[in-house]
Amino acid sequence: MQIFPLHPFRPEGDIPALRQQVRDLVASHEANWPVELRANCWFSFDEEFSKAMGRAGLLGMTWPKQYGGHERTLLERYVVLEELLAIGAPAGLHWIADRQTGPLLLRYGTESQREKYLPGMARGEVYACIGLSEPGSGSDLASVRTSAKKTNEGWRINGQKVWTSGAHKSHAALTLLRTEEGSERQAGLSQMMIDLDTPGITIRPIIDMTGSHHFNEIWFEDVLLPHDALVGEEGNGWKQVVAELALERSGPERYLSSHMLLVALIDAVGPEPDAPTAQLIGRLTAEMWTLRQMSMSTIAKLAAGEDPVVEAAIVKDLGNAYEQALPRMVQAAVDADLSGKSDLSRLLTWILVASPSFSLRGGTPEVLRGIIAKGLGLR
Amino acid sequence: MSDNRTLLTDMAAGLFADLSSKPFAEAWPQVAEAGFSTLLVPEDAGGFGGDWGDVLAVLRLAGLNALAAPLAEPVIAHWLLAGAGIAAPEGLISIAAPGQLVPYGRHAAAVVHVESGTLSLYHADACTFDEGLSPAGEPWDAVSFTAAAAATAACDVDLLALGAFARVAQASGALEAAFTLAIDHVNTRVQFGRALAKFQAVQQAMAEFSEEAAAVDASAAACAAALDYGDASFEIAAAKLRMGLAVDRAVPIAHRMHGAIGFTIEYALNHLTRRLMGWRSEFGGDAFWAERLGRRVAGLGGHGLWREMAARTDRLVG
Ligand SMILES: Cc1cc2nc3c(=O)[nH]c(=O)nc-3n(C[C@H](O)[C@H](O)[C@H](O)COP(=O)(O)OP(=O)(O)OC[C@H]3O[C@@H](n4cnc5c(N)ncnc54)[C@H](O)[C@@H]3O)c2cc1C
Repeated sequence: MQIFPLHPFRPEGDIPALRQQVRDLVASHEANWPVELRANCWFSFDEEFSKAMGRAGLLGMTWPKQYGGHERTLLERYVVLEELLAIGAPAGLHWIADRQTGPLLLRYGTESQREKYLPGMARGEVYACIGLSEPGSGSDLASVRTSAKKTNEGWRINGQKVWTSGAHKSHAALTLLRTEEGSERQAGLSQMMIDLDTPGITIRPIIDMTGSHHFNEIWFEDVLLPHDALVGEEGNGWKQVVAELALERSGPERYLSSHMLLVALIDAVGPEPDAPTAQLIGRLTAEMWTLRQMSMSTIAKLAAGEDPVVEAAIVKDLGNAYEQALPRMVQAAVDADLSGKSDLSRLLTWILVASPSFSLRGGTPEVLRGIIAKGLGLR
Repeated sequence: MSDNRTLLTDMAAGLFADLSSKPFAEAWPQVAEAGFSTLLVPEDAGGFGGDWGDVLAVLRLAGLNALAAPLAEPVIAHWLLAGAGIAAPEGLISIAAPGQLVPYGRHAAAVVHVESGTLSLYHADACTFDEGLSPAGEPWDAVSFTAAAAATAACDVDLLALGAFARVAQASGALEAAFTLAIDHVNTRVQFGRALAKFQAVQQAMAEFSEEAAAVDASAAACAAALDYGDASFEIAAAKLRMGLAVDRAVPIAHRMHGAIGFTIEYALNHLTRRLMGWRSEFGGDAFWAERLGRRVAGLGGHGLWREMAARTDRLVG
């Protein structure tokens, strides 16, 4: 059995022009971006840039026009994503809405939910976050306990979510809740779109080890939601979340988080590096180039209507390992001053400290390898 | 996949499986007889008229079956000769890339050498071989040319890179075969009252193994697409280096999963892993390709690297 037959990546349309459009848009915004903002850039926020992306028609690219989308292909969207990541554009504010919340609403949401959220998301003005993890539920997501109780007035929510990226900047959280009292594991779960300005919701910052306020905890105390906050079918939450995670795991952000450091390294050593540095650049390039082929193949399979679960897990696990090793390898090879002012020093320090998170968000190596092993018939 | 390719791979799969544990003396005549050597020679010149995707498919099967016969070498040699308008001599033709050992040199009727823009065809009587063996026991012979070439022609092909591509293609098959052996082993071998495959540590290691095989598969296919486009200099450098990393990571797992049985000469695994160990060094090792690729990338500049990579896949679509 061939584990990874390469699926050709054959987008329609003028792809070089699309790349140029992204590069030009970035060029007109980048003057205000410190290098730290450009590192791990799909976790960095610039509201002006997100809105400009919306105006340029580069958000909600694949969605129907009636919801503000642009009816372009998944592969065109992929090209935009990889360009943003490779150039270090702070695209974190709209990333989750564009990547998963919007598509999930299109697939499972009601007409009124779509009309309410999608046009704003496509304009780069409405942002979303992912309410999955809880204090007692990380890798074991099926153990979530935050509950929603159906009453005559609506749903009553109680409990707590944690590690919620960008909740403090978001308008709504697509949240996994236990809607059937006493249910166990995957049964009795549902997804709800929760407006974060609803009374009874408290969002508290959690400062991460880079010193940033990126993720949060969200408390729900007797929060009353309208009945139509339910997304998809009651009790079908687990299946929907698995589909959501597939969207979350297969993208180019799983190997390009440290790319700006490679850019800075190449620029710092100039066109004629010594042999060991040339070898380091060659080695990093070889891994990155390979991951790009694999990532493109995986999205092309998705676009062709296949369900490449194992491939996506492989790309994420290998990609995370690469983007985490990159700063360590640069540190080992280059005599960099970690308190220095050069782009290379600043990026190295920042990415070194940020990199432990790369293999946690979206599922740990152990979880991904479990998925792969299952796919290979080993469990 | 083209109908022709399906026919080709069906034939190769059957033949190479039959030849799987056969020595060179038995395997090569049948490979030659089947006509694989002219895989890349155009049909109007009497060849199969295949492309590099076909070459990949066949070399992958050769690697998968640990074929103990040259295949990439005559395919590349016949293609080069046809391109140069030089008639190919009868018998095995191997390749001599600059500074490289000649695979199966001692058995060759002729050797094609390309250096500094010139292709030279040497008959065996113009070659002296200092015989050596690869880790898998295949002939790796150092050549000196002791008489004039039988024919020469201008040629801008990077023979070293083509050899490197061949080894990546073979490695993709060998890794799959080693992986399949390991899967079968962990599913059947029982320790502590359970099949090894039931242990999470074993599952995780097998998943890592699969990732390395996947990386080589993907990079080999990307190289074939670039070769068919007409320029794979960047892709082959990256893929050969990535293959070296995959061997580095996957071969130890393959043996770890097998325990002592995998260390015996009887068991099939060593025919795959010894080849993989050898291919990692052949036609440029990790350090060589890392430096070559790294210098090229340094010349592109920080953002130039991405632009080049994007342009190189966009050109396949246009
Ligand atoms: C920067 C960042 C942003 C995040 N953003 C979000 C977000 O927006 N929304 C959200 O819902 N969550 C978010 N998360 C949470 C993330 O999904 C979890 O961290 C992740 O799922 C792991 O859960 P955990 O942290 O509870 O670790 P645990 O599940 O407790 O795992 C700890 C360790 O144990 C291992 N382990 C666990 N179970 C097993 C097992 N069965 N077998 C072997 N090993 C095991 C894990 O692999 C890991 O190494 C974010 C995390 C980070 C770091």
